[in-house]
Amino acid sequence: MSNAAKTGAVLVVGGGISGLTAALEAAEVGKDVFLIERNPYFGGRVAQLNQYFPKLCPPSCGLEINFKRIKNNRRIRTYTMTTVKSVSGGPGNYEVTLETAPRYINSNCTACGDCAQACTDEIDNAFNFGMDKRKAIYLPHEMAFPRRYVLAKEACSAQCLEAVKAACKYNAIDTEMQAETVTLHVGSIVWATGWNPYDSSKLTNLKPESSSAIITNMMMERMAADNGPTGGKIVRPGDNKEIESIAFVQCAGSRDENHLEYCSYICCMATFKQMTYVRERYPNAKIYVFYIDLRTPGKYEHFREKLRTDANAQFIKGKVADIVAESDGSVTVIAENAVTGEKIRQKVDMCVLATGMQPALGEQGKALGLKMDGNGFVVSEPEKGMIAAGCARSAADVYTCAQSGTAAALKAIQTA
Amino acid sequence: MSVKVQPDIDFIKEMKEAGGDTLKKCFQCATCSVVCPLSSDQKPFPRQQMIFAQWGLKDRLLGDPNVLLCHQCGDCTAYCPRGARPGDVMGAIRAYAYRHYGWPSFLANLASKSQNLPILFGIPAAIICIMWLIAGGSHNIPNAKDFVDFGYSHFFGHWDFKFLTRNVLFIDLIMIPTASLSVFAVFKGVTGLWKKMTENAGIGAALYRPSPLQFVKEFLWPSVQEIVRHDRFKKCEANKDRVAGHQPLMWAFIGLFFVTGYSFISQDFIGILLPSLHGPMSMLNPVKIIANIAAIAMIYGVGVLWSNRSEMEESGQATSTFYDWFLIWMIMGVGVTGMGSELMRLIGIPSLGYVVYYLHLVSVMMLFLYMPYTKFAHLVYRTLAMTFERYRESAYVKNPLMG
Repeated sequence: MSNAAKTGAVLVVGGGISGLTAALEAAEVGKDVFLIERNPYFGGRVAQLNQYFPKLCPPSCGLEINFKRIKNNRRIRTYTMTTVKSVSGGPGNYEVTLETAPRYINSNCTACGDCAQACTDEIDNAFNFGMDKRKAIYLPHEMAFPRRYVLAKEACSAQCLEAVKAACKYNAIDTEMQAETVTLHVGSIVWATGWNPYDSSKLTNLKPESSSAIITNMMMERMAADNGPTGGKIVRPGDNKEIESIAFVQCAGSRDENHLEYCSYICCMATFKQMTYVRERYPNAKIYVFYIDLRTPGKYEHFREKLRTDANAQFIKGKVADIVAESDGSVTVIAENAVTGEKIRQKVDMCVLATGMQPALGEQGKALGLKMDGNGFVVSEPEKGMIAAGCARSAADVYTCAQSGTAAALKAIQTA
Repeated sequence: MSVKVQPDIDFIKEMKEAGGDTLKKCFQCATCSVVCPLSSDQKPFPRQQMIFAQWGLKDRLLGDPNVLLCHQCGDCTAYCPRGARPGDVMGAIRAYAYRHYGWPSFLANLASKSQNLPILFGIPAAIICIMWLIAGGSHNIPNAKDFVDFGYSHFFGHWDFKFLTRNVLFIDLIMIPTASLSVFAVFKGVTGLWKKMTENAGIGAALYRPSPLQFVKEFLWPSVQEIVRHDRFKKCEANKDRVAGHQPLMWAFIGLFFVTGYSFISQDFIGILLPSLHGPMSMLNPVKIIANIAAIAMIYGVGVLWSNRSEMEESGQATSTFYDWFLIWMIMGVGVTGMGSELMRLIGIPSLGYVVYYLHLVSVMMLFLYMPYTKFAHLVYRTLAMTFERYRESAYVKNPLMG
């Protein structure tokens, strides 16, 4: 690259599986890479999964090796709790302003955990979708990278702040830390801003707030995970009842122009995968899957065929459009079986809404000058050095995201 | 069970024209059947009707009581994930069915398209105009004093033959054939629909058939009671405001039916013995009071439905169709011209009063004449479907021992 106007650097926005992959691929061919992440940890949504299909690997399987590669690569500079404030300039030389929110913990932290023991205040555990509480000073999750605590200062009393500071042997807690602004010059930007689970409270006909027996598929992932709120037990939130029957509600908000117009791609496979979680724990539990179409593209068909043979599982073609909370804590899901032409009212102990993927960048993307499609996904403009990767680009599974990260890196290094 | 599918492409095209243009978007998720407050557990709708319509299975739909049981609440359309607007499609199927069962078919076809509006108005307008000219035309327009005394009772002139006034004779000559045609068309339609519904439901020759009295008592009368109470209408969620318009309108029609019946009997029969009954009624006459209350209820009710439909169309909850609007216009026409001619009489403007009264006769004749083919036909067809629904579930059809 002889063009002097080019900075030679790549900015990767988002440190999930797509961003990690893009950053590593670009750095390993010799580019300088800035990798930023909004959360205090890298790993994104994959870090929250119990297993990912089709091989049902735990997330550590794919993430750990990537973290190691990042640690070993001096060309990658990482920023957590950091977001993009503005982008100016043009391809080959963008000026990007970043803002890093205060973590209140400096690099002295060894993650010994003494501060958390001393901490008296608690907050909802966002990593577990609020299913449990955690201390206001916390390690985001057990395998968090960077391995450093975070302080939720606004949730702490003055007393509590004093207590945690006193408990830290390494002088790592700095409650006066301020938000910082950084300006970078990069040649191209990879947008790997990922997705959020669709807000189930918008599904008014399913009334998800009416019963604690109604959970989302991502909550199910956390429940099934050993480091989750229940230590890997799948029980009904609220009364911890063991599950004798469970219903999966497919397309909860996806393929629906009132919510997400598109197919979220992963929810059918996620449900098949979660059937294995249920089956491992409850060999005789009744499983009901309500669907419009079962979409298991490519090789995933084999996975579906295997799960379809489960004698205690029923697959009902018909979308659940109403859920009634029962007095005994269970719920009744209501659908029309489009094959028999009759309505079915199935009472189950627990109900999982297979909610879809909503692009996390949303409206902010437009403000930053990105080309977005009608659903909020980023449309790549490689000639401008603006490249979308992973679920910022379209709803996708983990391995497609990794491929997309590599593809984005290949495009990004050409403009950088 | 294998089904021989014989798609009727023209039917699909017609559906699309009649407000069901979104039909093909449906991907059969069945959300509609669940959110529908009126659909039953055993025979839910409108998911099945959507696929039948997509496939052009006209025969299935023409004999399907569910098509008529739908009150177009719009809950299905509101929750439809594809914008397939099942509520509008069901309305389009009903419009098609009324036409299909309509007799004579040229009249049914005529009444189904907005471009025929000049003819639809022109037929009654011409008939009444010709009758008026035959009756003496402008010679019959009274002076202000006579107008106060006689109102419109000399519209078609006057003679001294005391047993039947000239006016009543002419009105009878116009309206009795019109009403008879309508009644006969309804009879043909109702028997055709009943036959098709029993065929499609696979109800063969019944072992026991209800007597006419049993039929009325067990099936028809409970349906009528339900209609009067507006039970189903009140279950609608997305569009619950319609009850506030439809219920007064229904009572208005019941009131005016009574008033018309009273007038017919008093003018054509009792009037022979008591000629004093001829001429306009006193405003304090109980029948006149009922008539006035009913007229106000009619204008109010159809006004609510009018604004409600406009709002639904503006907000995208419903598609604008001639089928829906024609009935609203006709009823509004009857109400406004009726009240208008009464006002003209009370104010005392004969010439303008005569024009408004003429338009009133035209709109009333339109309502009678097109009743079997327009949306007004829901009056009989939906009642019949509700009756059939009860019959279908009864022991006459379902052997209670066989389950």
